[in-house]
Amino acid sequence: MNVRLALALLAGVALLAVAPLALDAYWLDVLNSVGLYALLALSLNVILGDAGLFNMGHAAFYAVGAYTTAILSTQLHLPVLWTLPLAGLAAALFAAVVARPVIHLRGDYLLIVTIGMGEIVRIALVNDVFGLTGGANGLFGIPRPIVFGYKIRKPAEFFYLIWAFVLLTVFLFDRLEQSRFGRALTYLREDPVAAEGSGINTTRYKLAAFVLGAAWAGMAGTLYAAKMTIISPESFNFWESVQLFLIVILGGAGSIPGVILGAVLVIVLPEAFRGFATARLLVFGLVMMVMMVFRTQGLLPLKRPRFREKDLARAEAAR
Amino acid sequence: MEQFLQQLINGLAVGGIYALIALGYTMVYGVLKLINFAHGDLFTYGGYLGLTLLTSLALQGRVGTAAAVALLVLMVMGLVGVMGVVLERAAYRPLRESPRLSAVVSALGASIFLQNALMLLYGARVQVYPEGLLPQVAVSLFGLQVPLLRILVVLASVVMMAALYLFVQKTKIGTAVRAAAIDQGAARLMGIDVNKVVSLVFLIGPALGGVAGLLVGLYYGQVNFTMGWIYGMKAFTAAILGGIGNIPGAMVGGLLLGVIEALGAAYLSIAWKDAIAFCVLILILIVRPTGLLGERVAEKV
Amino acid sequence: MNRAMGLALALGLLASGSAGAADTIKIGLMAPMTGSWASEGQEMKRNIDLLAEQANAKGGLDGKKIEVIIEDDGGDPRTASLAAQRLTTKGVVAVIGTYGSAVTEATQNIYDEAGITQVANGSTAVRLTEKGLKHFFRTCPRDDEQGKVGAAAIQKMGAKRIALLHDSSAYAKGLADEINAILKANKQNVVFFDALTPKEQDYSAILTKLKAATPDVVFFTGYYPEAGLLLKQKKQMGWNVPFMGGDAINNPDLVKIAGKDAAAGFQFLSPPVPKDLDTPEAKAYLASYKKKYGEEPGSIYGVLAGDGFTAVTKAIAATKSTDADKIRDYLVNKLKDFPGLTGKLAFNAKGDRVGELYRVYKVDKNGEFVLQPK
Repeated sequence: MNVRLALALLAGVALLAVAPLALDAYWLDVLNSVGLYALLALSLNVILGDAGLFNMGHAAFYAVGAYTTAILSTQLHLPVLWTLPLAGLAAALFAAVVARPVIHLRGDYLLIVTIGMGEIVRIALVNDVFGLTGGANGLFGIPRPIVFGYKIRKPAEFFYLIWAFVLLTVFLFDRLEQSRFGRALTYLREDPVAAEGSGINTTRYKLAAFVLGAAWAGMAGTLYAAKMTIISPESFNFWESVQLFLIVILGGAGSIPGVILGAVLVIVLPEAFRGFATARLLVFGLVMMVMMVFRTQGLLPLKRPRFREKDLARAEAAR
Repeated sequence: MEQFLQQLINGLAVGGIYALIALGYTMVYGVLKLINFAHGDLFTYGGYLGLTLLTSLALQGRVGTAAAVALLVLMVMGLVGVMGVVLERAAYRPLRESPRLSAVVSALGASIFLQNALMLLYGARVQVYPEGLLPQVAVSLFGLQVPLLRILVVLASVVMMAALYLFVQKTKIGTAVRAAAIDQGAARLMGIDVNKVVSLVFLIGPALGGVAGLLVGLYYGQVNFTMGWIYGMKAFTAAILGGIGNIPGAMVGGLLLGVIEALGAAYLSIAWKDAIAFCVLILILIVRPTGLLGERVAEKV
Repeated sequence: MNRAMGLALALGLLASGSAGAADTIKIGLMAPMTGSWASEGQEMKRNIDLLAEQANAKGGLDGKKIEVIIEDDGGDPRTASLAAQRLTTKGVVAVIGTYGSAVTEATQNIYDEAGITQVANGSTAVRLTEKGLKHFFRTCPRDDEQGKVGAAAIQKMGAKRIALLHDSSAYAKGLADEINAILKANKQNVVFFDALTPKEQDYSAILTKLKAATPDVVFFTGYYPEAGLLLKQKKQMGWNVPFMGGDAINNPDLVKIAGKDAAAGFQFLSPPVPKDLDTPEAKAYLASYKKKYGEEPGSIYGVLAGDGFTAVTKAIAATKSTDADKIRDYLVNKLKDFPGLTGKLAFNAKGDRVGELYRVYKVDKNGEFVLQPK
């Protein structure tokens, strides 16, 4: 992590810490939404941005996590935050099972398969699969999370919970990108043939990215369920997956700051355009097109590591 | 058995519409490797424009039914085709050299824009075609009463697919389209104006989608501003099922998807219909990773 | 950096967004202005706009003008929770809306915690008023109420083999389940129970399957666009089976979609529409609506939103207060037989509308909805 990024992160933390003092409940809730979508988009970014796998069914993993939390907390009365790792685990397992047979599909074929997967999950939830999901009504009465004996219910309180998780995620995923695993994914995305030639087990790495992304989306599902206290299949429809896809590409695939900026824009812009009344989505669509046309690589594209002479010298010296 | 045949025909009629829309997806994809998510909305515009033309020009009753429909088809094709060309210029051409997915976002933006523009122009209520324009005749087929229009819908899509296929395979311009699809750089070196080819593709694909919208309006009698989203998704699925980029593949995929849906609803469950269709799609792709008629090619990045 | 930018953007918008004079009484309308249910939301807005205009022309409330603040809930729970937070920070005293049950549910706690009266207009799910929320009301009846009336209407027809079709939405599935339970309890033969996929154009596959089950009557609990298509395609198949439907079908567009021939004979349940009320209030309202918009109200739910508005403004005027507790006290204990736009208005302690609201309507051969005698 370089100095600039660290400073920016610090400034971000400081701003976030004081935000609840300056904003009203509405804008805090908007930021809560941004936080949730940032989490989801960061998890999708591991799959789509880092590994280059076209996944347009991410809402399925999010749904598995949210429903795991809802079922465990309403049926078995587990505290909501205890279900966080379980939701992640459930989503990861689900991803491992469904992704294994299709992971080798190329680009657009994988895209439609993931869309199909997302729809199958939604339809299963609507049809009350296993008699656990409550059908179209969904599940309700999910308890509020309790942190150190303190019940979280107000937007300001959720704000700290959600954004703490976002910051943790940013830190972990940034580390991940620098790791051997992250570099392998980058290689895989940039040149799958060469990556395979260099002894990277492409299938295993792709699958690992899928499972990791899914696990994180599952945990975001826990936070969503806890915040809304009611979840229904419609909250995980195809449009949710599309929005997440949008966030990652619009912000800049593979770039963590880009993805967060993307989440800010995709959530805040439709809110900001409320003044346009019924035309607000029209304006939103237009802005999306214009942004993409003028920033074709995404708003904050991933800076690819450049080859520098001194690196070469250092490598020579090390030899 | 009778029910099976009936469902087969039901499926083919729905599949015919999917196929027509899928042709547009597949053509655009073949040349640009772009999934034009706004294609479904252009389809919706076809339905709405058809209605506006029909009522404002008062075609009904002034000329014969066949002439009125033919006129409508031509006008809708022209208008939606031009919309497609404009869309490509505005939203996709600036992104031609950038990562593939960037254009997908632009396409989604265009889709949201087009859909909401339609809502603002026409209002959110369902729009209804005037009654009685087309004759509600049924013909006897294998001992079943089948509405004539259903047969015409399937025939129309087969004819257009065939025409498109011949155009791409047999004409000089079609050869240019195929060349651009294989390698744009090389095509340019051969003196092919790739921009023109792309414009042409964006004229033909949306024109076909527009006709599909018009057919839906004429046959089902109603259009709504969100219908492109579902039809677009189904058509995209159909294009993938057949092998995207492949014209007969779009046709096969569309008809097959329609039949799978109808039979799934009939013999398994109506509520799970779409899930069944997607399951079949996934199974087919596991066995044939590039769709039914898709070529086995390594991915170009 | 990016977060800072986003935050600055948010702060800037916030500064520009908050304004408003204190000498108005603000009533919120939360409605699906965009998305799949946009037509309902826009109808709701029309009714509320008209009623607010009329009230202001008469001098407003307690000498203050009524200001209607509209927020789009997009027809989805997440957008709705944001819309609700936004309304609470804008100083509204009461909120009318919204349409979908799941959407309403996502906002109930937000209004309750802020002490704002909420009057839903289209959310019929039973559990919404079973939570003991003090400030939640609704002008539409509940699904269980409609289930009873629906089952009774089916039995009255003397149908032996009954098919139930819903569309997997919370509302339609709930209604279908209610009817199914009552019919089963009465040992009736339900030969078909399944769901279609809404928003499609072609239902011939479903109709073919339905026909094979040879029912005497088909009860479809979903919405009017699908009902219209079902009727039309049933006619094209040459299948003559009576169809019935729930209150989501009460929309004149039904006849436009189905065509007059195909719609004739169709029966549905609904609270009475304004034109069938002979109260002077309903007649005057209908006339003014037609004058302003050039057509009759399209959706019963828009009119029910209007009822919510009149009930709340009546409570504020009578109590000379915008306090939610006082409004509740008035609505529950004092408001009796108030002439609303859809009949007499009164609420019970749960916040549900009291009185048997549902009536059976039949479409005649001219495409008119005719109220059937009880």
